[in-house]
Amino acid sequence: MMEGVLEKRGIPIRNKFALCAAAVVVLVFLPHIMPNNYWLRIYTMTGIYVMLALGLNVVAGFAGLLDLSYVAFFGIGGYTFALLSSGQFDIHLPFLLVLPVAAFITMGFGFALGSTSIRLKGDYLAIVTLAFAQIFKLLLLNLDRPINITGGVNGIYNFDPITIFGLKMMSAVAYAYVIWFFAMVVIMGCFRFKRSRYGRGWEAIREDELAAEALGVNTTWMKLKAFAGGAFVAGGTGALFASFQDSVFPNNFDFPQLVIVYCMVILGGLGNILGVILGAVLLSILPEFLREYGAYRMMSYGLILIVLMALRPQGLMGSVGFLARGVKRADKDETGMLRASTELYYDEEQRAKREEAIYAKGDHAVLQLKKITMNFGGLIAVNDLSFVLHEREILSIIGPNGAGKTTVFNLISGIYPPTSGSILYEGMELTGLKPHQVARIGIARTFQNLRLFNKMSVLDNAKVSQFCRTKAGPLSILFHLPLFKNEEAQTEERAKEVLGLFGARLTGYRFDQQAMFLSYANRRRLELARAISTNAKVLMLDEPSAGMNPQETLEITDFIKQLRDVYGYTILLIEHKLNVVKTISDRVIALDYGRKIAEGPYDEVANNEQVIEAYLGRKHAA
Amino acid sequence: MNMYLEQLPQQLVNGLTLGGVYALIAIGYTMVYGILFMLNFAHGEIYMIGGFAGWWVLHLLTSNNQPVMYAALVIALMIVGAMAASGLLGIAVERFAYRPLRQAPRMNLLLSALGVSIFLQNLVLNFQGAKPRFFHVSSLIPEQLRVIEMGSVVFSFMRILVIVVCFLLMALLTYMVKKTKTGKAMRATAQDIEAAAFMGIDTDRIVVYVFLIGSALGGAAGTLVGLLFTQVDYYVGFQAGLKGFTAAVLGGIGNISGAMLGGIILGLLESLATTFFPSAYKDVVAFAILIIVLIFRPWGLMGEKMPEKV
Repeated sequence: MMEGVLEKRGIPIRNKFALCAAAVVVLVFLPHIMPNNYWLRIYTMTGIYVMLALGLNVVAGFAGLLDLSYVAFFGIGGYTFALLSSGQFDIHLPFLLVLPVAAFITMGFGFALGSTSIRLKGDYLAIVTLAFAQIFKLLLLNLDRPINITGGVNGIYNFDPITIFGLKMMSAVAYAYVIWFFAMVVIMGCFRFKRSRYGRGWEAIREDELAAEALGVNTTWMKLKAFAGGAFVAGGTGALFASFQDSVFPNNFDFPQLVIVYCMVILGGLGNILGVILGAVLLSILPEFLREYGAYRMMSYGLILIVLMALRPQGLMGSVGFLARGVKRADKDETGMLRASTELYYDEEQRAKREEAIYAKGDHAVLQLKKITMNFGGLIAVNDLSFVLHEREILSIIGPNGAGKTTVFNLISGIYPPTSGSILYEGMELTGLKPHQVARIGIARTFQNLRLFNKMSVLDNAKVSQFCRTKAGPLSILFHLPLFKNEEAQTEERAKEVLGLFGARLTGYRFDQQAMFLSYANRRRLELARAISTNAKVLMLDEPSAGMNPQETLEITDFIKQLRDVYGYTILLIEHKLNVVKTISDRVIALDYGRKIAEGPYDEVANNEQVIEAYLGRKHAA
Repeated sequence: MNMYLEQLPQQLVNGLTLGGVYALIAIGYTMVYGILFMLNFAHGEIYMIGGFAGWWVLHLLTSNNQPVMYAALVIALMIVGAMAASGLLGIAVERFAYRPLRQAPRMNLLLSALGVSIFLQNLVLNFQGAKPRFFHVSSLIPEQLRVIEMGSVVFSFMRILVIVVCFLLMALLTYMVKKTKTGKAMRATAQDIEAAAFMGIDTDRIVVYVFLIGSALGGAAGTLVGLLFTQVDYYVGFQAGLKGFTAAVLGGIGNISGAMLGGIILGLLESLATTFFPSAYKDVVAFAILIIVLIFRPWGLMGEKMPEKV
């Protein structure tokens, strides 16, 4: 719902050029048809707001971080420009140098502030960043003494005249061109980032941070990058704004300004680039028609926020809105009917067709748990547990609810550090690693309670898993360098290949379907596909058949077996359905109260006195 | 150093006054957070409206700068009026801006709260103007009582009044939460809103009570600060709200006695800080405390650290 379907499918190349050409023509003409200088000024300010809103959209829309210090970054950019290109300290650097300097300095501040606060969640992050913004404002107001740095309430205004390549910028039209040129750059940058590993990583974090981390996205670092990226755009925009206004005052960078920018982003649709541009344009121009009600402007911004959140939190351009009604939905055919899946039931033929088993359990120990204990403030969830997972083995963990099975997975995948003990993967110590590092090393997992990235498409869900296998940086993404293109192709290929393992259930039109619209069983399959897409060697499956009907269970059981027999995965399985366990396990471990009570082949474990007791309770002493 | 020591008792009294007020504001944040896990961003504005309500009561009950009835009664009516106005406003905000979003993502709720805050602030700006309203309190207190000197320490009567009222209200709240049936229902709802509903508690009603009580206390704080510093304007809620939130976080958000303690500690720290820093930076001290606490001990002094459920 966060983005238009158009955006995701990509526009054909020739149309893209046509679109860009049209935009350039419009932008060349627009400044000349403005009725007067007043409107020309509004036109230019609109460009500034478009940039500002898009920068915020990176932080709040893509990554879902409620950054209330955003306006301070805008201010840092503005004041940096003011200090380096004015008579304030008699520093007169050229415009084209100060602009990137301001953007990079602001980005530095973004990194610094972000690194202190980025691990805070939701409201807490909002309030800490708000406190930062307040401190910034207090500094602006008070740093005119003992030495005059910021000019206090009076701001700074004795700017140098702007020259670009020796040409003095005198006319307002020239300004309009410069500002909108940069606005176009920012727009293009946003599109490119959105359709890259960065964009997918951020979106995954917004949808489910823990799942993103477990699938190999370095969430802390990526959030910090979103924060700093937003700061970079805000800083550059601040410098442009300062030069345009020819002065800076503390009031330019105050809380109301922040609210205006937030309104723009939310009105258009958080995360939706076209929407945010629309929001910025609307809220820059509309108030001019309502000038006689100027006093009510800020009040109406408040109302916009309240009403939008209650009635339409996805904004004007959310994909199911009136503006997107003409767009085809992936799960409907040409007549608008919902498509029915043709292969709902398990196909015996397909089963017969399946490839021959080429792998079997080996003897080499891949994963070793040694005396692992997990103590949650007195509650011992896992107690002195040791076991070995062999190469290409299917090892099942069973046990009653609360036995500590999922905790074992969480410990291996690094979600909690164990209280004591060690976990070795190919002789390498895993304890102390973060989940994304564990995924990168080659251990991927699924979640018992389904943690898909609900608002992302099926294909993007699988693509996120390739994050830890790719390394294109901002420059590659921005300029579509070969590294980026190769990696994108590889990511796409891998995601489609893995989804193809499930046949028509996750392929075809379903590639573009949002994960939240999948049937329950298909969501379980997607969880599994996502784990496989990380190119892991070891898969940890947490109740892969939970909630499935007998047919579906049969199929998934078969599928898991194939994963080992045909593709050679090593599998650690938690499962409650004992017939599944019986069919595919090489070995079984039974847990109760965090302790291992039995280990061995299924039949042996299933007949173990202690196991029966754990499941059924103690027999009466006869 | 000696100079600082001399100022100490004075600063302690000032800090205690400020701390009592912060504590009252913090309670509103902490009660709402305790039940709905949301940051009621508009709480600062509710405090501000309380200040204006108090001013209007005073304005209506004085003529020619003289109270039309017993001064003590006027002050009492001011506080009650502020509590009523803010309490009702709190209920309205919950009903229209928060309740429709009960199931929505937390970010939406916070943005809606931000909207309420902006809306209320500018509503007051439009109808009351940007200039501060002054409380002509001097007529309310007999001359011989205005200033009380004890050695080097000078108390103003208002400070004593504010401290007494703050602690009285906090004692009342503590009694209510600990000893009454409604209080028990509140504690149950804060522990687990669904389980409480299953046990027959009308949790929607409890949420309304929480907003009523929290907002009323915030409103009382607004008027008390008006009495103390003799003015109120449309923008006071922003800073006060942040301070109140800082106090709530310092004490451990969701914990009522923590909020009281946090408020008093914050008031004392801020007041002592003015001895060492230029007063322009006294707010920086509060914000720095907020940032440090949230980063290093986000569960506060009295809150419990909860492991994240996976």
